[in-house]
Order: sequence, then structure tokens, then C-alpha cells
Amino acid sequence: MGDRLHFLTIKIMTDQDNNEQLEIIHEFINETRDMINDLEPTIIGMEDMVGQGLNADNKETLNGVFRLFHSVKGGAGFLNFSQLVQCTHTAENLLDQLRNGELALSSEHVDLFCQSCDFSKEALNYIEEHGDDSGITELANNLMTQFKTTTSCSAEQTPETAPRPDELIIDLETPVQRLISAEDRQEFVHENNIIIKRIETNLIINKKNKKNKKKSAPAAMAEAILTDIGLFHENCHFLAFGELDKLTDIIMLVLEKSKGHKNTLQRALHFIWELIEVFQESLDNILQYGTDNVYGLEMYIELFNNLLPPDAQIKIHHPPPAHLGEILIQEGIVGNEDIEQALSAQERPIGEILVDQGLASREQVNKAVKIQKKLRPATGKSAACGKIPKRQEIRVDLEKLDNLINLIGEIVIAENMVIHSPDLHNLELDNFNKAAGHLSKIVRELQEMAMIIRMLPISGLFRRMMRLVRDLSRKSGKKVELQLAGEDTEVDKTVIEKITDPLVHLIRNSLDHGIGTPEERTAVGKPESGVLRLEARHEEGEVQITITDDGRGMDKKKLIAKAVDKGLIEGDGSQLSDAEALQLIFKPGFSTAEQITDISGRGVGMDVVRKNLEDIKGRVDVISKPGSGTTITLHIPLTLAIIDGMLIRVGGCRYIIPILSIRESFKPDSSAITTTPDGQELVRVRNNLLPILRLHKIHNIDPDSRRFEDGILIILESRGGNICLFVDELLGQQQTVIKSLSHYISQQGEVSGVSGCTILSDGEVCLILDVQALVE
Amino acid sequence: MTDEIDDELWDDDEDTQKDKYLTFHLAAEDYGLDIACITEIIGIQKITVVPNMPPFIKGVINLRGKVVPIMDIRCRFEIEEREYDERTCIIVADIKGTAVGLIVDQVNEVIDIPEERIEPPPESGGRSYSRYISGIGKVGEKVKILLDINTLLFDEDPE
Repeated sequence: MGDRLHFLTIKIMTDQDNNEQLEIIHEFINETRDMINDLEPTIIGMEDMVGQGLNADNKETLNGVFRLFHSVKGGAGFLNFSQLVQCTHTAENLLDQLRNGELALSSEHVDLFCQSCDFSKEALNYIEEHGDDSGITELANNLMTQFKTTTSCSAEQTPETAPRPDELIIDLETPVQRLISAEDRQEFVHENNIIIKRIETNLIINKKNKKNKKKSAPAAMAEAILTDIGLFHENCHFLAFGELDKLTDIIMLVLEKSKGHKNTLQRALHFIWELIEVFQESLDNILQYGTDNVYGLEMYIELFNNLLPPDAQIKIHHPPPAHLGEILIQEGIVGNEDIEQALSAQERPIGEILVDQGLASREQVNKAVKIQKKLRPATGKSAACGKIPKRQEIRVDLEKLDNLINLIGEIVIAENMVIHSPDLHNLELDNFNKAAGHLSKIVRELQEMAMIIRMLPISGLFRRMMRLVRDLSRKSGKKVELQLAGEDTEVDKTVIEKITDPLVHLIRNSLDHGIGTPEERTAVGKPESGVLRLEARHEEGEVQITITDDGRGMDKKKLIAKAVDKGLIEGDGSQLSDAEALQLIFKPGFSTAEQITDISGRGVGMDVVRKNLEDIKGRVDVISKPGSGTTITLHIPLTLAIIDGMLIRVGGCRYIIPILSIRESFKPDSSAITTTPDGQELVRVRNNLLPILRLHKIHNIDPDSRRFEDGILIILESRGGNICLFVDELLGQQQTVIKSLSHYISQQGEVSGVSGCTILSDGEVCLILDVQALVE
Repeated sequence: MTDEIDDELWDDDEDTQKDKYLTFHLAAEDYGLDIACITEIIGIQKITVVPNMPPFIKGVINLRGKVVPIMDIRCRFEIEEREYDERTCIIVADIKGTAVGLIVDQVNEVIDIPEERIEPPPESGGRSYSRYISGIGKVGEKVKILLDINTLLFDEDPE
């Protein structure tokens, strides 16, 4: 009842509020899903850290995981998803203990984090459906209990694994950013923005005073600014924003030391004026990323350092110059003094002033500006590295995208109709042809774009498999090394969805049946740890995904014995070739596992794999050598929207048959035809008798030829077996854009034997035959 | 159906379409269709036959890249079929996102039939086709049979 009420309150809000709220929730769900997907491989990577103790790298990983959990928590907190907050908060606590060295990382911890990810996913699914997460309290509580038991267990062990001295030293070396919540951060930024605004105002007043030659000494002003900088410094120091801390520290030093030196003070104030923007930028960074990156920090510090009397200067490492003035000095074009003079008068870009004052030529300044530009992004990059590189992307409603792709498909057809319009036949149209050629080229490019727009890298899918392999190997006590290759291969989104299940089945099979236990492996002279290789690549206009293991492999004799035992084949199977024997594993009900585990061995896996692949017009190949492993290759078409089709004709009607289903076509000899007493016509092809289907009979068309000798027979193959289709003529092969028959049509009756339709270049609708249905 | 009318009352843009009917000729009678659901009228073109369809579904056509099913209203009313000629038209209607083409002998004009000039359909005239009729519109001396597009398209079995 509680969640129902909560949901109602959302409903009662005005439409606009409601939409906005939903929009925010939707965004949160999407972003969090992405984050968790990014997070999982890192968590699995943590496994390697077990027993390593803390070092800088490990710490960074822990921090990374922490940050992600933290972001999820922030978002969930904002939207009041209390279960999710609770879960992520607990995970955070554990991580905090881990990175402070209070606990040593163990596999159980990694398990817990994996479970937290699972829970978060579950929670997101629930939120997506119900609008809140109060219905999954039980799941959350389960997780909490697990966290508690695990952490209390390890707590007992802590005395032994207590931080060793060397770890402590590392601890001191790497400045730990304190745990700051998003709210703290916001407050910090808000507060300090006010301080900086105040400094800015003071500086402006100072400037005015200077212009008006008012004698009110800058000293008083400096005092006020010093106080503010001091405040700012303390704030930064407290929250351990190291870069801002350092910068404000030296500014304070300079202000202190330059008391009474009017010129130095004025110069220092000028520099601070310049730095206002830098401060603001840094605060923005804190707000957005939680880090206080100050680009060009060393340079600023040195600038201030130079203002100090030589004996008070702090020693700093010489950074690459990034200020225009400094570059000019280094190039020997102008002197230090000149720059400083120019700087103090600077209301305009320093380069212009120098040119005006005749100290440097315009070319020299321009050159220096170029150097500066080169240096800037470099410093920016070095500061930003360590963050995960992000692709620039935009989220688009899939429906909009599909509409766009449909429109592009229509443009292709329309272009064909225009260019091959019968009205244009036999006309001399030089200019038209030129323009038409140009149009065709653009349309082709557009079509290619439309194809890749739906493509996603397969890495997301592969990453999920990392998790699977880890879980399975832990459960079975087998050691497996998962190798991934070709993760950036791009595949149609729908294809990725369709091959997820098959891939899971295949990997389970490899781990359950293929790769043996460490003892078993060492006994046959293989390394303890098995290798499972997952590779994706583009080849021959299709995507191939191979799953290779170096396990037991499949024994032909065993396979055949099993199949005979289960009654899946007739006879003793001795006539089967190696390849045919391997195909047996795809038969429903086939399983060679001696013992059935909860994940595989029920004999439902491989036929599902095959079926799913056939659904997307793909296929599966198996190569296996007993003793040395198995390779399974999934052949997947690049896209589901286009197939290679064979255009055929019967009477006045044309049809498309998917090329993949066509085995061969031939003109039959009348002697090869037999008719059974019940009227079924059969044709003998080599040693097989195949039933003949007359397409004109099925679709009630008036054909050109009724005698088999006048037309052509096409052997179609599908899972159910092979048949021969009798048609008048083959018209040729062509790329076919698949469209579905109208929804209305399927309401009106069962369209059997037709899987969809396409539009031919002359604009006519052409049906695509469903070979599977025809065979059945 | 009443919902749709309600919506229209609130919608100013739809106001201009109120009471407007597209009339067409079929066999011996004149019929009218509410213009709100009609998207366009095209000439007859080659229809690709789809197997296993009821006789009144003639097949599908390509309407600028969209595959649109075609219903022959003569067949729907079980009036004797005739050859299509240059006056034969396809009226494309869009109902809840589903586009369907209707083959008629000839399209006449768009006319106003105010509500008070429309009489309810005959109670039960014995013939089951009366349920496709939403009303009888009187225009001057003539009578237009107003069709209910929803039952016309989506009613499964004329039993």
C-alpha cells in the first residue's frame, strides 16, 4: 500500500511536473545502468588485487569504484530511492575501510560488490516499472545482511591483516581526497564562490582607486583580500583540495611578505585579479567532477613565487612555460621587466601591448601565441587524465532513430524510382545523368550512415561475460583466464540483444564441459588455468564471434554414442562425418555432461543457440579436437534490416527468397520426378528424394509453366529439412530492405509462408518468402 | 468513437473538419466517410496479392515507401466486383496509426452534413451490413450512407 500511495502522489502532480520527474528518473536509470556496466569489469579486476595489499594503483581502483558507487548514491538520494541509497552507502563504507587499510581486500568483498551491482540493476528495473524502489526491500535487506556477516568475519581477521608500516608510508605519500558528499561539495563551492566574488569586487574597487589616483593605500585593500584568501585557503585545506590549497598558500605568503612594498603588492593584486577566473573554473570542476584541477598551477605558483624576496622564495620545479609572456621571454624577444610592465598595464591581451610598445613584432607574438596554444591543451590533458575517456554521445529515442532510418530507406527506393523511371528511357540527358549520379552517391552514403547509426560496440556484451566467467569459475573451482579481442567491433543493437543468450549458453558450456578442473588439466599436461578466448571481428560482410577454449574438446565417438543412446539419430551413426557428428550437439535434448549442474547440462542450451542465431539469419559453426579444445563461431549478419535476397518470378508475381536459405537451383530432368499415390511430387537430387512445392499453387497464381522442365527448381534448406520450390524464373540477386507487412494484414488472417515484404526498384511491393514456414 | 468526437470539440484545429464528409460512389449508392480519418486519395495502382487473406483484402501497395493494405469495399459489402478503371480510387484512411486503403468506384466531393440532417441507421434491416453504417445523411433530395470506418475496417466477421 505504501508504494502505491507514493506512486499516487507522483501521479497527482501537474502533468508538467510529472513529466519532468519521469524524465529525471529515466535519465537517472540510464546513466546509472551505464555506470554499473562500466563498474563491473573494474570490480572483477579487483580480484587480482586480493592479497596484494594497498599500493597506489590499487588505491586508484578502489577510489574509482568508490566514486561510481558514490555517484549512484547521490542520484538515488536526490530521487528518494532509499533502498538503492542504503545499498550503495554500505558498499561505500566497505570501500572506505578497504582503501584506508582497515580491512584487507578478499574475494568475498569482490563478491559483495558484484552483488551490489546486481542489486542496483534489479532496483533500476524495478524503478523503471514502478516509479520507486520500495518494493525491493527484501532484496536490499538480504544484501545488507550479507554485507554485515562478511565484514564482521573479516573484522575478526583484522589484527593479522592490520596495515603494515610500508602501507602506511604509501598512505602518506598519496594525498587522499577525503570523503566528501555531493551536498558538502555543493556547499563548499557555493560558499567559496561568494568569497571569490568578494575578492573580485575588492579588486575592482582597488583598480578604480588607482585610476583616480586616490591615495587610499592598497595596503588596506590587500588586508581585506588577504583575509578572504585566507578563508578560501582554509576551506580548501579542510576538504583536501590540494591544488587550490597550494595556490592559495603561496598567495597568502606573497601578500604577507609584500606588506609595505607598494609595487609588489599592486602586482600581486593584479595577479590575483587574473586568477579569479582560474578559481572559478576550479570550483566548477569540483562541482562537476569532485576534483580541483587548476590548469597551469605550477605557472601561477611560480608567478607569485617570483614576487617574493629571493630569500623567501620557495624552490619549485621549473614547469614548461604556458604564459605568453614567459614564452616571449624564453625566446629572448622581450625581457622580464617588459613583460611585467605590460602585465601591470594589462587591460588588453599582453601580446597587443608588447606590439604597441614596440617591444616585439606582431609575427613574433603570433608565433608565441601558437606555441601557447600548443601547450595549453597539453597541460589540460595531463590534468584530466586518470578519468575514464568518454565518448561524445547523445541519447536519442530509439523510435525516432528508427523513423529516420525508415525515411532513409524510402529515399533509397525513391531515388531508384526516379533514376530508373521508364519516362526517361532512350532520352539523351547528360545533365540529368550527372546530377543523378551525384544524388546516387549521396544516397548511398546516407544509407551507409543509417546502417552504422544503430551499431554499438560489442564491448558492453563482452564485459558482461567477464562477470559470468568469474562467477562460474568460482562456483566450479576451475581456473579460467578470459581473453577478449575485437571489443570495438560494432554490431546492430538488435543483434546484440539476440546474441546475448546464445553467448551465455556457449560460455557456460565451455566452462562446464570444456575446461576441466586444475587437477584434471595438470594430469594431461596442460597449464592449471584454462583459457577462454572471446573474439569478435568483421569478415566477409558479416560479424563473426568466436568462442575458443583449450579444454577437453568433443569426441566424435562419444557424441555419436550419446545421440544413439538418446534416440536422436537412426542407425549406429557410423556414416556421419566429423562435422556432421559435431552438428549433433545442436539437436534438442542432446547433452553430454555426466552431471547436470544448475546452469548447463540439461541439453537445452545448444539448440537454443542455433535457434536464436537462425532468428537473426545467422549460423553457428563448431570445430573441436578431442583433448585440445573447441572453437565455436557465430556468424551474424551485419544488420537485420537488410538481407541478400534472390528475386524470383512466378507468372506475374515476384518474390524474394533469402539467399542464405537457398542451397542450389536446377532444371530437373523429367525422369527425376516421381509422384506418390497421394499426389505429392518428389524429385531425386543425387541420393535424396525431396518434396516439391509449387509456389503458384500455394499463392494461387497463373504461372508461365506447369511442367517442371519449363521452370526451375530451387532447393531450400532450413532446420526442418530440405524442399524444392518450383518457380518460373530466377531474376537475380539483390540487397533487400526488409519491411513488415502492415499490422492490419496480420489482424485479418494468418499470412503463412511470408515473413515480410520489400519494395522493388520499380516501386512495387514484393513479398519475402518464409522458408522455414514453407518447409513445415 | 464518442471519445474522438469529444476530443474534436476541444480541439480548435479540428473544428474546421467537423461535419465534413468525403462522398464516394459505389455501385448504385453514394456513401460518406468522416473526413477526419482520411489522409489522401490516390489513383488505383498495382496491388501485390497477399495469400490467405479474406476476399475483401486485395493485398498491399507501396505508398511512398509505406506498405499499405488495400480493402475493396465492393467485396466488403459483397457487391459484385468490377474491373478497375481510371475513375477507380483508393481512399487512404489512418485509424490509430494504421493506414488502410479503400477501393471505391469513384470519389465525388467533400460536403457538409450538419448533425441535424443525419438520421440514425436503420435499426436492424435484416442485412448485417447495416452495422457498418453510422447514419443516413440527407443532402437536398439525395441520401448519403455514412459509414463507420472503425467497424468497416476492424469488424472481423459479418455474421
